[in-house]
Amino acid sequence: MRVTLATHGGLAAPVRAGLSPDVVDTDALPESATAELCRLVDAAVLAASAAAEDREAHRSAPDAMSYSVTVEEGGHSSVLVQSDRDMSPEFAALLRWLKEHAVRE
Amino acid sequence: MTSELRHQCITPPYLLERLLKSDDGEVRQAALNTLLTTAHLRGERAVRAAFPGVATPGNARRTIYDCRNTTSLPFAVLARSEDRPESADVSVNRAFDKLGQTRDFFQRVFARNSIDGHGMRLDGYVHYGYEFANAFWNGRQMVFGDGDGRIFSDLTGSISVVAHELGHGVTEHTAGLEYHNQSGALNESMSDVFGAMVEQWTLGQTAELADWLIGREVFTPQVEADALRSMKAPGHAWNTKKFGKDPQPDHMSNYLNMPDTYEGDWGGVHYNSGIPNKAFYLTAATIGGYSWEAPGLIWYEALKASNSETRFQEFADTTYQKAGELYETGGAEQMAVLGAWQEVGISITGVSAGLARARSRTAGQKGDPLATVRSLTAQVQELSRDVAALKGRLTASR
Repeated sequence: MRVTLATHGGLAAPVRAGLSPDVVDTDALPESATAELCRLVDAAVLAASAAAEDREAHRSAPDAMSYSVTVEEGGHSSVLVQSDRDMSPEFAALLRWLKEHAVRE
Repeated sequence: MTSELRHQCITPPYLLERLLKSDDGEVRQAALNTLLTTAHLRGERAVRAAFPGVATPGNARRTIYDCRNTTSLPFAVLARSEDRPESADVSVNRAFDKLGQTRDFFQRVFARNSIDGHGMRLDGYVHYGYEFANAFWNGRQMVFGDGDGRIFSDLTGSISVVAHELGHGVTEHTAGLEYHNQSGALNESMSDVFGAMVEQWTLGQTAELADWLIGREVFTPQVEADALRSMKAPGHAWNTKKFGKDPQPDHMSNYLNMPDTYEGDWGGVHYNSGIPNKAFYLTAATIGGYSWEAPGLIWYEALKASNSETRFQEFADTTYQKAGELYETGGAEQMAVLGAWQEVGISITGVSAGLARARSRTAGQKGDPLATVRSLTAQVQELSRDVAALKGRLTASR
């Protein structure tokens, strides 16, 4: 499984646009870390799925950043998007874990 | 196959089914809790949205909270308020002091009582998130991260950044410029204008002496970049191997048509703000003296006369109109505004380009007697204020 974190917008949006995304490949992780990552992804997806579409909320917080987490596994990929304005605690936990473990491409 | 899960968005069916039909009771309970929590949050947002004009009275009191590197504002702890002593935490004190400087700027320069004009309390949240390299205004509060320590430093270290964020609040309570495309770039530009003015005001700098940089302090010493943005020279704030070259345009001919999505910075709001930023700089440089006097007042009055959908052309026309109303039709200030917009590729409606060029040349001439007199008058007024303040202090100490 490969998980990529891309960060968009924010006060320094043009600077950020030039930076590489953060990437975690579970092939390079111990089994326990992979299990922890899967748990965090599942929790973030579950929290996101429970909420309703509210695109305007992203716009109503100037300088808030948006984050897209892409999970690729077995030819299938899904993308989870949240922002500073309204991220769930579960997504925040995933974000932190990815920042701590990722290597920049 | 790729599916997208926006927060509050579509769920990949395979994943959702797996989680919601789990045999594990804890997982099912978590699903139920999440549903209840998000339903509560949706309700709270709906209630707030029903009262957009409601002010938060508080005599513009400052309160700083420490998020302790979480993303939870409700669980942040009180770190400093108006009736508490200085904190041992430098970020707390910096946010407190800079919010105070920005609040004082709006009060003394524009007679504006806080963000909403009605004494709205100023709540700042520091140490937000983990290696959070950003600062933002969420509609009620200002949030500051510590930076990642590699590229970005603590965001409370920059007065132009703090004033920029508070400026978003002022814009929200005046024009309410929508945060996308040209209105969004104007929203960003107004925050940079406020950021630059507050910094110059705290330093007592004239337009000529100021560097017109936004976020000079945000990069770590390892990064070779002047600042986030340059209002004097958009597109020239940074040029590094690590993240490329500053892409801000300084002329309409280079306007960037970017997607109105989060990936496209909502139509390039942090990119195209370079155009009105340059127009403000040129106006201030041409008029001379302090940016927060004639140029700032013209921009501030134009902001108050704008609406949520105002675009560059309409805003430029409004600044021209306000310059004529506040000072003199055809006077040095109005001609400076005319020439500034002309130079970034925007002609004021109803004024021929030839006339604009001729008049702006006159207004911008070095040694222009009228501009010199105005600049000297402004300096004398400032000195008079200083002398009056000193007299007041002497009287009080007797």
